Amino acid sequence: MGEAASETQARRLATEARDRVRFEEDALALSDQVYRVARHLVGSREEAEDLMQETYARAFRAWRSFQPGTNLRAWLLRILTNLNIDRGRKRQRTPETQPLEEGDYFLYNKLEAAVGDGDADEERVVERLSQDSIVSALSAVPHDFRDVVVLVDIGDFSYADAAQILDIPIGTVMSRLHRGRRVLKRELAEEAVGAA
Amino acid sequence: MTSFAGDPCARCEEVLQPFLDRELSEDERALAEAHLDQCAYCRKRYRFEVSLRRYVRQVAAEPMPLELKARLAALRTPLL
Repeated sequence: MGEAASETQARRLATEARDRVRFEEDALALSDQVYRVARHLVGSREEAEDLMQETYARAFRAWRSFQPGTNLRAWLLRILTNLNIDRGRKRQRTPETQPLEEGDYFLYNKLEAAVGDGDADEERVVERLSQDSIVSALSAVPHDFRDVVVLVDIGDFSYADAAQILDIPIGTVMSRLHRGRRVLKRELAEEAVGAA
Repeated sequence: MTSFAGDPCARCEEVLQPFLDRELSEDERALAEAHLDQCAYCRKRYRFEVSLRRYVRQVAAEPMPLELKARLAALRTPLL
């Protein structure tokens, strides 16, 4: 190899090493945010930790397929949700057609009735819900719905990002989100004031 | 999309989630805002939703264990 050619080669390798380090640093800087979503996609902290490790190992191997300038957090979560499904989480045949009768005001109306004060402050009404009840209500939402609820409500992703991450149409994101939130509210209502 | 003309509170209840998700069109958003301005019943439920979302997010924000952070950092390619 000529001197010029080997110099070009060396420069190329140096550039690649620099890009790679930058990618890894950027991905690590997002790990807190990725974990927050991962933690509620699976049932336990141990599972979330395993999933994070697998995700980052795969991301670091596949770093060249990330397009700089696009959403890295969404890219990482796409790997993570795919791994989560590969790990044996069966795609549930969730009955998307079964009607949910409660409307969106259902939980508030229930809690307000339990507080017994039509003028109660909204913050006071929210305080009827314990932290544990939120966590257990979230875990009671069927997987397919929960993925969307967690991405949008906890991960703060747009409908379009969630659609891309889960590889489903945006209309499906909207209907699952709608139903997932309703299920969440029903669970919260049951925990807070009983199933009546 | 149906309008706010028939049963405005039912319509408001229907669009509350996309409204909070900032996914409504400008026109729909303006209609929802106008209704919320004048309807105490829906405003209360809207404020409750805002509080509930904040609360869920806060409860869900479990910090990542430091030890996991170290394990992720160890997955980086070693610098030669």
